[in-house]
This record gives sequence, structure tokens and C-alpha cells, in this order.
Amino acid sequence: MTKEMQFKTIVAQYCKVKPEDMTNEMRFREDLGFSSLDFMSFLGELEDTFDVELEEENVLKILTIGEALDLVNELA
Amino acid sequence: MGNLIRDIIEESGKKYSNTVAVKWLEKKEIKERNYKEIMEHMVLVRKGLLAEGFAGKHIALIGTSSVEWIESYLGIITGSTVAVPLDISLPPEDLIDLINRSDSEALFLSPKAAKLLDVILSKCPKLRKVFMLQEEKTENSNEKTMSLGELKASAQGAGEDAGRPNPDDVATIIFTSGTTGKSKGVMLTQDNLATNVESVDFTTEPGTILLSVLPIHHAYCLVMDWLKGFSLGTTVCINDSLLHMVKNMGVFKPKVMLMVPLMIETIYKRLSAADPSIPKKVLGDNVFGGNLEIIFTGGAHLDPFYIDKFAEFGVEVLEGYGMSECSPVISSNTVTDHKAGSVGRPLCNAEISFDNGEILVRGSSVMKGYYQMEKETEETLKDGWLHTGDKGYLDEDGFLFINGRVKNLIILSNGENISPEEIENKLALNPLIGEVVVTGENNGLTARVYPDQDVVAAKGLKEEEIQAGIQAFLDEYNKSQPTYRQITALVIRKNPFIKSATKKIKRQEVLIDEPV
Repeated sequence: MTKEMQFKTIVAQYCKVKPEDMTNEMRFREDLGFSSLDFMSFLGELEDTFDVELEEENVLKILTIGEALDLVNELA
Repeated sequence: MGNLIRDIIEESGKKYSNTVAVKWLEKKEIKERNYKEIMEHMVLVRKGLLAEGFAGKHIALIGTSSVEWIESYLGIITGSTVAVPLDISLPPEDLIDLINRSDSEALFLSPKAAKLLDVILSKCPKLRKVFMLQEEKTENSNEKTMSLGELKASAQGAGEDAGRPNPDDVATIIFTSGTTGKSKGVMLTQDNLATNVESVDFTTEPGTILLSVLPIHHAYCLVMDWLKGFSLGTTVCINDSLLHMVKNMGVFKPKVMLMVPLMIETIYKRLSAADPSIPKKVLGDNVFGGNLEIIFTGGAHLDPFYIDKFAEFGVEVLEGYGMSECSPVISSNTVTDHKAGSVGRPLCNAEISFDNGEILVRGSSVMKGYYQMEKETEETLKDGWLHTGDKGYLDEDGFLFINGRVKNLIILSNGENISPEEIENKLALNPLIGEVVVTGENNGLTARVYPDQDVVAAKGLKEEEIQAGIQAFLDEYNKSQPTYRQITALVIRKNPFIKSATKKIKRQEVLIDEPV
């Protein structure tokens, strides 16, 4: 599984959108219906899956799938 | 026997002296402090504050859960000083307002918020001292700033200790959302807090692991995780970030946790997304850490669906009901006495009555009043009865059920109470926003906006430009707000809101999107 697919599979746990239907512009809260805690829990899963450490202050500014994916690509 | 938090803590200090009281993570390493050590640190803080001349004064705390935060809090409330816990995620201007309105003369500040130090000192004229919540010396110590470590060191060997407070003395002021858009400082006495701790019907063996995941400035977390937890000799483990809640359940392996419904909903998403071929026991151990037996929940309505689903994993979810004004627990389901869908029976120190369906509460945990808000206090406390703003009923077995709200307050499933007017006033500052109403939907806040038609016409804006312009403004607004006050959905209306004869927007009709 590619890193991007792994990432989208984690996203899919928290919403009803299938990984193949996700686009980089989709917003976690508004388009995917993430609650604030879903988003935090999702970020925690990213840390475990990709073995990265995320700074809470920075990650809370992330709005879209593309932004989160860029961050993972940058750190992992 | 007086009802003092000091009595409860001192008794635990003696009974459980070698039991671990607090565990926390420091760079992935687990650190701990036992009851004897917690007591020693607490006494040093108390003596230090007395020596610094803060007897009888109000002292604010800004920080997330930490051993430094809790020992400072205990040092304050076991003396004759009043603790004012504040939400670290609030914008600086709100924190400054609350420090000033609470008449705080000292502040314990987390190093995570160190960048606020200068602005707070310059805009809070009554503040005489800031204690940074860290053991090591502060980088730029000055006459107004020192570390908690320095405060405690200065009290080493000091003979004089603060006297015992009276049960009727205010121990803490907790800020809660007001329906007029201005938050109110709930004054809770020693007796209010101590009797709430004693009246919650739960006991467990000393050393039971409890993982604290809620914000410590909230009454529910502060009184139930920490004060109740300490009264039973439990080991309270600190969750370092909501990012790591599930991971830390595996690290600390708690038996008991307090959660808001939103947390239960999020964990359930993880459970239900797992491969169905994984045995339930394996999945449960993986997500809950392996030892979790009880989740107490409150702060917002929980769908009973989750109670059944979690029971399949051997985790009992017990729902309760409370509010800061009641220190905070009013009723709770218990291990031996529960009914799904209810919020349990009232505590033994709480009397329940109803006024047109509104739940009224009387008892030893009902607040003294709102700090310097006489009118609001009179409206809420009438003849000793606290008007909760919630509607409900007691069933034939004495279980309390909640079925609506009287006041205009949004209760999110993370337990946060949001005053829509407070947010609407801020959003209305944007010229493109003509009318706005904020509603709570799907675990978030929705802004329903009717654009200012004069601005739209003057700029010749098209529909998508209006949407983009307002969304950009909301994105900026969201950046300055804690997550629970962020707007997560935007609805642009084509027509104005329906209004009453006095030209006020009819809130109950805002979901009718397109009035003729």
C-alpha cells in the first residue's frame, strides 16, 4: 500500500468518504465531518503509523487532506 | 468535622503515603510522585504563597494538566487563598479579561503559554506575581516573575503555614459560559467541593489507575479526576495530549476514566472501523489498554447506543449530570445502580425539584453565587434553588432524565457550553455579514449568515465570491479560537431571518432556511 493510500485509509475510519473518492482540497471538518476530537485522534494515528512526531500547535492549523499529506511526506 | 478539601487531602496523604498519586510522561519516560511527596510539595506552595503576601487573595492558573498545576492548585485551596483555573486555549484578550475580572493578584502560568507573559503583565495591573509552572529557574526572573521551583525553595524551612480555611470560604472560581455572552465566575466553597467529592457514590482500591484526559480547568475533571481520585488514593495518570489519548490508554492501562461523550464517539469510530475478523477481546485490549472497566461520562447527552457497544468490550459506561454551579456532579449512574438513557439518581446531598419542567437543585454542593454578578446570581439562585436551565423529569424509580434546555446555550458533545451570542457578536464585525446566527449541529458550530445586501451590491459580488469571502473570514476567526469555539460549517441564506415583532431573530426558526 502506498503511503498516500495508508493515509487515506486512516482518514476513512472517521468519515463516510471512501479513500478513492478523497481529494486534496477536501476539508476535514467541513467536508469530511470530522469532530475536533476525531481530528486529534486521527493525528495520533498518523504519528503511530508513520513514526513521526507532530507539534500540536502546528497541526491544528491544518484544514485539508492535502495539507496533512504534505506534512506527513515532509516528516516521514 | 468540617468539610474541607484540606482534610480530605491530608487524610489521603497519611493513609496512602507510599502509594503513587500521579504519573506523567516526560520525553516518553514515565515519572511519578507518591502521596507523601504531593503533600510536601503542596505545603511548600501554600507556605510560599503566604510568605509572598497572598493570604486571602485570588490566584489564577493557566495551563494543561501537570503535576506542577495540581500541586499549585492544592497549595492554593488548602490555604486561605482562592484558585481561579483558566482555559489555556482561550485567546489572550479573553484570558486577560478573566484575570482582571476575577481580581487575581498572582498567576501560575504554564511554560507552554510563556509567550503570554509580557502582555499579561502589562494588561493586568492587579497582578503582582507570575509563577511559571516549572521546577527550573526562569530565564528572565525579575521582581514579578519566578518559577514554581523557586517559590517552593523559598518556603523550605519556613515555619509559618497558612491557617485552615472555613467550610464556607470560597475555594475556587470557575468560569462558565453565560447566556448573555459574558462568562460568569462560579464561586465554589470548600464545603461545596468537599461534599461533592464525598457524595459521589464510587469507591475503588488505593492505587487504582485512572487516566485523566479532560481539561483540568473544567470542574468535572478537577473535582472528579483529581480531588475525588486523590480522596480514594488512586493513581491519576496525565494524558499529555488529546493526540495520544488512545496510545496513552495502552501506556498507563487505566481501570477508570472520565470522558465527555465526544471521546466515546471518536473511540467507537476506531472500534467499528477495525477489521471484523479481529476478535473483540484483542481489539478491546488494543484500543482500551487492556484494563479499562469503567468510563464515567457527563457534560453532554450520550446516545445509549454507545453504552451497549462498549459493554461488548467489557467496558461499562456510566452517565452522570452536572454543571460547574453544582461543584459539578448532580446525579450519576453507579456501578451497582444504573439505568441506560438516564443520568442516574441524584447524589445524596442534592435535592431535585421542577419548575415548569426545568430542573432545580438544592444542596451542599450548590455554588455560593457568581463572582461580582449579583443580577445573574439572583436569576439563577432563588430561595436556595439553583435553576439549571435544563428540562427533565424523575422516573418512578428516582432516575433523572434530561430532555431539553430552557436557556439559549449550545451544549457540544465535548461538554463545552457555548454562548452563541458571544460568537455572533464577533462574526457580525465583518462588513459582509448582515445577520448571523450560530447553531450547534453535528458536534460542531454552524454559522448561518444572511449577507449584507448593501455591501454585496456595492462590490457586485457573485454568490461564490460571497461564500469564499465569508469562509476566508471564518478561517481567520477560527485560528484565534479554541477548537470548541471554531465554526465548522457555513450556510449562506438568500433571505433574512424570521424576526419577532421586536425585530429580534426567532432562534427557534433559524433552521427554516428560505422564508418567503
